[in-house]
Formats: sequence, structure tokens, C-alpha cells
Amino acid sequence: MKISLNWLRDYVALDASIDEISRAITFLGFEVEQVIRTGAPLLSQVVVGEVLVRDKHPNADKLSVCQVDLGPAGGVKTIVCGAQNYQVGDRVPVALPGAVLPGDFVIKLSKIRGQSSDGMMCSAKELGVAEDASGLLILAGRPALGTPINDVMPPGDTVFDIEITPNRPDCLSHLGLARELAAWFKLELVYPQEKFRGDISGAPHPELLRGVSVLSPEDCPLYSAHVIRGVKIGPSPEWLQRRLSAVGLRPINNVVDVGNYVMLETGQPLHAFDARKLGGSQIIVRRATDGEKLVTLDGKERVLTSRMLVIADAEKPVVIAGIMGGENSGVGADTTDLVLECAIFKRQTIRWTSKRLGLTSDSCYRYERGVDPHSALEAAYRAIDLILETAGGSVVGPACQVGGDVPWKREIVVTPAYINERLGFDIPAGEMSSALESLELNIVREEITESRGPAWTVAIPSWRDDLDRPIDLVEEVLRLHGTDKIPAAVVSSPGLIGDDDPLVLFNRRATDYLVGHDFHECVNYTLRSAKEITTWVSQTAAVELALANPFVDDQSHLRPTLTMGLLESLKLNQSRGVAVSRLCETGRVFIERNGQNFECAAVGFIIAEPVAERSWLKREPADFYTAKKHVTALAAAAGIDLGRQPLVPVTGPYYGWQEGQSAAAGEMAHGWTARFGLLNLAMVKSLGIEGKVYAGIFAILPEKITAETARRRYADFSLLPAALRDLALLVDAGVHADEVRKTLARIIRAALGNAFMLESVEAFDVYQGQGLPEGKKSVAFSLVFRSGERTLTDDEVNAVFQKVQEEVAKSTTWQIRK
Amino acid sequence: MQDTLTALVAKAQTDLATLKSRPEFEAAKARLVGPNGELTGLMKQMGTVPKEQRPAMGKLINETKTRLQELLDGALRMIEAGELQAQLGPAIDPTLPSPDAGPGTYHPLTLVREEMCRILRKVGFTVADGPEVETEYYCFDALNTPADHPARDAQDTFYFPETAHFGNVSKRTPGEKYLLRTHTSSVQIRTMLKGAPPIRIVSPGRTYRRDTTDATHSANFHQLECLYVDKNVTVRDLKALLDYIFASLLGKETKTRFRPHYFGYTEPSFEVDLSAKHLPKVKKEWIEIGGCGMVDPVVFAGVGYDPEVWSGYAFGMGLERLAMLLYGIDDIRYFYQNDLRFLKQFA
Repeated sequence: MKISLNWLRDYVALDASIDEISRAITFLGFEVEQVIRTGAPLLSQVVVGEVLVRDKHPNADKLSVCQVDLGPAGGVKTIVCGAQNYQVGDRVPVALPGAVLPGDFVIKLSKIRGQSSDGMMCSAKELGVAEDASGLLILAGRPALGTPINDVMPPGDTVFDIEITPNRPDCLSHLGLARELAAWFKLELVYPQEKFRGDISGAPHPELLRGVSVLSPEDCPLYSAHVIRGVKIGPSPEWLQRRLSAVGLRPINNVVDVGNYVMLETGQPLHAFDARKLGGSQIIVRRATDGEKLVTLDGKERVLTSRMLVIADAEKPVVIAGIMGGENSGVGADTTDLVLECAIFKRQTIRWTSKRLGLTSDSCYRYERGVDPHSALEAAYRAIDLILETAGGSVVGPACQVGGDVPWKREIVVTPAYINERLGFDIPAGEMSSALESLELNIVREEITESRGPAWTVAIPSWRDDLDRPIDLVEEVLRLHGTDKIPAAVVSSPGLIGDDDPLVLFNRRATDYLVGHDFHECVNYTLRSAKEITTWVSQTAAVELALANPFVDDQSHLRPTLTMGLLESLKLNQSRGVAVSRLCETGRVFIERNGQNFECAAVGFIIAEPVAERSWLKREPADFYTAKKHVTALAAAAGIDLGRQPLVPVTGPYYGWQEGQSAAAGEMAHGWTARFGLLNLAMVKSLGIEGKVYAGIFAILPEKITAETARRRYADFSLLPAALRDLALLVDAGVHADEVRKTLARIIRAALGNAFMLESVEAFDVYQGQGLPEGKKSVAFSLVFRSGERTLTDDEVNAVFQKVQEEVAKSTTWQIRK
Repeated sequence: MQDTLTALVAKAQTDLATLKSRPEFEAAKARLVGPNGELTGLMKQMGTVPKEQRPAMGKLINETKTRLQELLDGALRMIEAGELQAQLGPAIDPTLPSPDAGPGTYHPLTLVREEMCRILRKVGFTVADGPEVETEYYCFDALNTPADHPARDAQDTFYFPETAHFGNVSKRTPGEKYLLRTHTSSVQIRTMLKGAPPIRIVSPGRTYRRDTTDATHSANFHQLECLYVDKNVTVRDLKALLDYIFASLLGKETKTRFRPHYFGYTEPSFEVDLSAKHLPKVKKEWIEIGGCGMVDPVVFAGVGYDPEVWSGYAFGMGLERLAMLLYGIDDIRYFYQNDLRFLKQFA
């Protein structure tokens, strides 16, 4: 809200500097967004002069050489001027040598194209009074020659653009802010004194207003109407226009301007009707009917609903209550009789209507935040004074008032001891009481408590609806004491034993792991497009993960995976010619399963073929098993042992993974899922990404993350030598090595009995192709035998190995390769 | 005989020096000292030597044998050294870059978040977490934000359709709508409802506002909030925490100040300004960095804490804003583009 300093000075004798006032507003709790200076700054050596002679400059087409009369004291000066908009006889501002114009422009005696000049005739812009630089500022009214320019120009003003917090609607007015500043600077606040106090003499004029009925009292707790007869509509006086212009309002006519002025002074919105346009001379405050229409003052037709409140006459709505008047009842040049509305409307009703219509106004803004019903009539009286002063006329009956009969009383009991306890430092009781009193929070009683010293009963004025508990008064005291004076202290941190959330620990471990493996950590947006999710995840996900009210189309859905964001980052780097391969991210993903969404902690990475990167030495490229290693480590960071989980090859068109080159585990059956391997080549290519991309993702429900794996128990191990045997098996090409390994291990253990141990059996060679039958592959296993008691002899190991081979031949379809 | 022995040693000396490989060496060794070797042959001739010469001759043969062994050992060492040398390639050029990827880098938002968490850990704050999809109760109602408050408007907050269901985000009341949290304060509520005071947590996390993306705004961003609940927590304690945080983070010359402000969930409430002119791109004397205040009694009552017994403070700030300030970054979008030339600057 814009607040004029000149205006504030009507109520409080502020003599502090602009900086001090700015600082006061800031520390009272209102952010000063901008300080705007308007009107003429203080200028010395700039006086009124009259152009006596205007001759063409001998050496320049566009310049003139003028003789300018500055009056008896100043004499006649020769001044070179480039402007074109003046004539001989015009009076203009003249800056003499020594004058400093805005922008630190110092005026000196000078020579222009060989012609000396004793000063400068000025434009409005050069004086800093307006933006007009098109020519000289021609002074109206023929002011006396030689008069200092500040005596001629309207005085300058300073306007503070202030953000008023929503808890302080009382400060959406000059009086409200003046009250705060008076308290801060310890100055007296002078309220405007209304001459009209509600007394009406003479006969009533029912032809102007028959009555007011409020059909929806819960939406309108107070409605008052006064009739003013015989006004003359015209422009407002200059002082009123200047006030409104300074705070950014366009002057319209005396009656409308008074309404705005009083609203900006007191915070109470007012509305004036042309009494002759009120059908049936009636005012009815009611809900609109569905589909009812009104053309508002901005020229737009508004279609209303039955949740909206209107002011209507006997026939039609004339105002959308508290928001904007209609064209059909407004004050115009020919208006002679007014009905002045001063009302209180329910905040929620106004807010709902305003949102619904997409229509707001200064009045609406105030009603939405709350207007003090107990000061409303004062504002009406003030407006009546000003209307009579600026537009003439007289107040006639009937004056109508509906509602407004709930009295205000609120008291808070607080002890200075409590205030100091909450603050953690001591403010003297005397300072507290004067702070409260200066805000008109009057201490009406003081009682001594048993243990906490005096207790104050503080009366809360009606405009401070935000104060209703002792803690609220702590803030008031602290505000006036100055929040910049809170004394320094050492942080007190009595020990509370706890650890970081398991999810946080998981994220940290996962990121540390990936960054330690040369990944660059990325951060991508959570919201993605529907198209992308349909393509990369599923049709169902694109339905379930949709926002109700996306802001932009390509950010309409929650992300179900981190892969898409990482690919986007990959593409960005590729397209910018930045060599890129390993990217990773941790963050939330949202996984749809059986019609429910689950918010999961996730980690993902990609390893792209480094297409743009050239290296003087080639390295082994990453492959499926690189991704497998990383995903296994990431699952372990959440307490999941992927080695013990069945892995299935990924199939299906929507997964985004390359069939036959990628695998999945978990699938949310136990609250987690993992996928890794090669991303679908065609889909990656269609994104405009070059080269193959391997990726891995792991996602888990936060509650499934194990902070620490169970404490491991030490297992004894043999110090005796191992016996090694290799066994190559010819198996179907489609069979997974691990299935063979598990069956083989079972056969070996059966053959061993309790004789000694099979320490491990692992595939070490896989071959398929030339020399082998079609559809078969060879998997070679390394078998490690050991005993805890003795060195194994060749004979006993051979015996077991022989038994194993016999069993394989007998009970499996595998062939042993010799 | 003596001459023969001397000649044998001399020849061995010459021959062994030319050996290049182990097979050559083994052949030479067999030729000299093997069962059919030259020295063995000479030793077999001992019988033909007159008896009185035998001791001297025996000594000479032993000396020759020792000498030959020395020569063989020397030759073997030469061969072994040659073999090791053969394992090496040409001399390296230490100035060539490593062809390996790396090192990896942490995102600047992670770096700033973790640094804040470390600073707060030192004074007893542990990191708490909560869902990003929230309900109206946890995001607004419990934080004293009434139903008609502008912050709850669909214009500013992302909501989910009434049909949406989140299996692991609990609702307080059945009719509530799901939304994307607009601040991390919902974690405070969940933490307070879950445990008993005293509580000292920091909750960093992702938050969402329905807003245009530009140099300073982003549809999702990150916040970090602190909550401390205990007996007799004061405004002065809150100021002390803020002073500590920013002196730790930005250096001792950093100053903080409070300006009174309004938030629904704290009373009194303050905005926090920093004075840190030593940072790059800081032009103004005071820069706003976050909001804070004393937890409003209404919030305590809502989570079942007795406001007469418990008091506390809360502080929140934007992580992007802090990172921008710390590193002198002037466009928030850079955090989300992941250009490697950006990411590699902060590790």
C-alpha cells in the first residue's frame, strides 16, 4: 500500500528523516518495498523568469538566444535554449549558476556554439517534478518574477510503498500507520474531528431513500446509509487530487474522490449512489440469484451466483457488495442527490466472490482482510464533512442503519514477568506500559499476583482484532522496544539424543556412493508431463499421478521415476556440447500400484556412452553388469540385499528398458523396486540422445528403509589350503547361470555329506557360439572345497567330484564338457 | 687340469653374459654344472690325478664350482631383471590427463543442505523427514492457516483430484484433499504428533508453489526448517541460534537482525536479515534470508502439547536462496538444468 508522508503529517508531527521513518516502518513490522519522492525537490538558485526576447542562435539551427527577465533583483539574463514549446511572454523556471538539479547536474556559466549563456530554462523533468521532457515547463498563473521555484511549485512528497501483513488490516490506512509511527517516535496522534455527528435537521426525503433492508445479515453485519441532497459534482479541489495522485489513484470527481480519500485515511470503504437511480428508492442487501447480471464500473458484464452478495434496489442489483459498483447507479456529472453507503461485509463472502469473479478493488482488498465495524460510522461522518465541503449539499433524512449493534470489549491479562520470560531478557515494566499505551492498548487495571508481580488488564481497541492472548502482547512490546535490540547469547543446547531419519541416512549413503563412483549429482523437477509418463511408465500412472490444477502443461504429473529427469539433463549437456556420461539423483518418486500411489525415496543413475568425449586412451565401456553392481550397492544402502532377491528380465512395451538387456527386482511386492540395465535404444534415440544409455533405479517406501543392518556375527574360517576343481556344463542358452549354479551347489552338497565343505561355486566363464550345438551355451564353474580340520587329499576330492559328475549326468539335462 | 679349469671359468664368464632367457640359462647351466656338464666331467677325471696333487686339485675344483655358481647367479639376476623390465611399457608422460571419468560431484543444493545439517547437528538438531505429498491438515490446519486463507488457494497450491489416493500418506480427517506441501513445516507437525517434547529437529526438503518459473522462482524449491520445543525457550534463544548458524556458515563478520513479521504458526514472528557484504554479488546491506518465530500456542494445542508448559521456536529458509547467496549464483534455474559446467564448480 502506498502511504504519503505529507498525508501522515496530518495526524502525527513527524520530523524525522526519510531514512529514519523508513527504518521505523520496517521495525514496526511492515516491509518498505520502495520509497518514492514526488513533486519538486528543494532547489536553490532556480527562480521564475519571463522570456522577453527570443532570437535564433547565429550558429545553430535548433537553438535560440533569449533575454530572460528575472525581476528587479535578478535583472535580465542571456540564456541559450534548445526547446521549442515557448513564446515570448511565457514565464518559466530558470536555473542560475550554482543551482544543482536532480541527478547532480550543476549549472554554470557557459558558452554554447560561441554564445555565452547565463543559466538554463528548465523542463519539468529537469526539475525532477514530472517525467515531461518535451519542452520547458510553462508556469501557469504568471507567478512573480524572481520567486524561488519551490514557492511556485506544489510541495514535494515522499511516498512509502509498504507491504502490510495480513494480520494488520488496521494499517491499510494512513491513520493506522500514523498510529504506529506516533507510538514509535513517541508523538501524539491527532484524529480528524468530524463536524457532522449524525444529527439531521429538516424533513425526511423518502423519495430519495425509502429504506434499507438486509436480507442476509450474516453476510452484512452493518449497513448504514445517509442521504445528501443538492450536491454539485465537479473536480475535486487541488489538495485532494494531489493526495490521491501521490498514492497512485486517479482523481475522478469530488464525491468519488472523497470516498477514496476517506478509505485511504481510515481503512473503511465507502460507496456513493446516485439517489435518483435507485429503483423504488430502496436499498436491499441480498444474495444474488443464479445467473443475475450486472455491468460493473469497469464496463464488464458479470454473471452472479447465489453465493454472492449484492446491493440491490427494488428491481436490480446495483453493486457487487464490497467489491465494485454497477454502471447503473454510479455518481455522474448530473448527480444531485447521493446515498452514501458505509457497511461491513463478511470477509469470507467477499473473498469468495472476488476469487470467483476474478475481480478485486481497493475496497475488496480491505473487506477481505477485515474492516473494523466499530469505527465505520466515524468514516461515514468524515466523508459527509468532506462531501459537504467539496460538493456542497446538505444531509437530509432518513439515515438508515441496520445491524452494528454488537458492542466491542476485549481484555487481555498479562504480567510483565511473563513478557520478560518469553523474551529471555528484561524490558523494564515502565517501558512496557508506555509501549502498550502508545498503541492505545490501555492498561485498565493493575493487580498484584501472588508470585509474579503485577498483572495488567489491557483493553484491546476494536481495530486490533489480531490481539487476543498474552503472547500477542509480547510481540507488541518487543516491536516497540526494537527487535534489533535483542541481546546476543550463546546457543543453549541441552542434549537430546537422537539420530537422523533413516531416509536421510539412506539418501546420504546413496549419494556418497555414487559421487564416490564418479557420478555427477543432479536435481530435477518433480513435476513432469503426461505424455512422458504415458510413454515411459504407463497409462495408469498418467491417470493416477495427475495434479488437479497444474500450472503449465509440461508439469502436470508427479514423477514415477528419476530416469526421465536424468535423460533430460543428459540431453541438455549433449546439446550444449558438454562431454557427459555419469549422472545421478536422489529424491522422491511416486509409484502407482493397484490404484494407490506411494511416495517413495529413490535413487537413480545413468551411464551414457561418452559419444562426444575423445580420449587418448580407451577404457572398457560400462555395461549391464556395471549397472547391476551400482544398483546392488544402492539397495544395500537401504538395507536390501539384492543378491538374495530373484531378478527377472524386463519385458513389456512401457518400461523404457531394453528387452533382453535389463532386469528388475522387487516390483514393490515388499515395498521396494529396482530396475537396471540398458534403456530402450529407440526411446532414448527418439529423445534426441546420442549413444547407448545404461541406467539403474532403486525406490523404496520410506518406512521400509533399515537404518542399520542387523549386527553381523563373526564366522570362523579355515586356515588350511583349499582344493579347486573346474566344471564346465553345456546348458540351454535361455537358462540363467544362477539357476544352474544353485542346482549344482545342491548336488555338490548332497555328494559331500559331512565329509568337508563346499566353500563356493561361481560361474567364471560363459561361452556360446562356434563349436557348440545350436541353442546351447557353456557355463564353467569354479568349485572351491575346504576342510576345517585337515588338508584335503586329491583322492577324497576326486571321489566327490566324480560323484558330482555322475549325479549331474543322471539327474539333469546338462552335459559335462570335458 | 688347472688350465682347463681356468679356461672353463673364462669361457663361462663370456657365454653367461650373453644369455637372454631362462631356457638359454637352463641349457648353459646344464652344460657347465649339470650331471653331464663340463665341470662334472672334469671332476670325474680326479681319479687320474696323482694322489699327492689331489688335495690341491680338489680345492681348485671347489673354487671353480663356487665361481661358476656365482656367475650363474649373476646371469640369472640379469635375466630376471630383464624380464621385469620387459613388463614395463615406455616411460609415462605425467602431464597427460587421466582417461578415467571423475571425480563425481555433489549438487550445490546438497552441499549447502549438508553443511547446514552439520552446523545444526553440533547444537543437537537431528534431521527429520516427511512426505512431499501432504494433506490440508498437516500443511495448513495444524499450522493455524484457516480454510479461507489465501495461501491455501488453488491459485498458489498444487492439489490432487479428490479421487487420488496415496497409500503411505496418512490423512487426519477423511474429507481432506491431498496437495504438494508448500513448506516443510508439515514435518514439524508430524514429528510433534509422533513424539513427546523436548524436540530438536531440522527438516530440509522439497516444497512446491504454483508459480511462474523465472530467475528467482521455481515450481519446486527446497526449504530447511528448524524446530525446538522445550521448557522456557525464549526469543533470545532463537536469536542466538540464528547468530550461531550464520556465523558458522558465512564467517564471524556476519550479522543477523530480526524484523517483526506475521506468520500464522508463530507468535511473535520475525523475518531474518543477514549482513554479509564479504559475499559475492551482495549489494544491499541487509538481505532477507528466512522467517522465524516462537511456536504459536495454537499449534502446540493442536498437537496435544500444553502451551502453558512447552514453548519453542521455529526457523525456516530457502536453500536455493542460501546457495545463490553463498556461491553468487544469480539464476535459480541453473540448479535444475544440471549443466556439468555448473555442477563441477562446487565440489
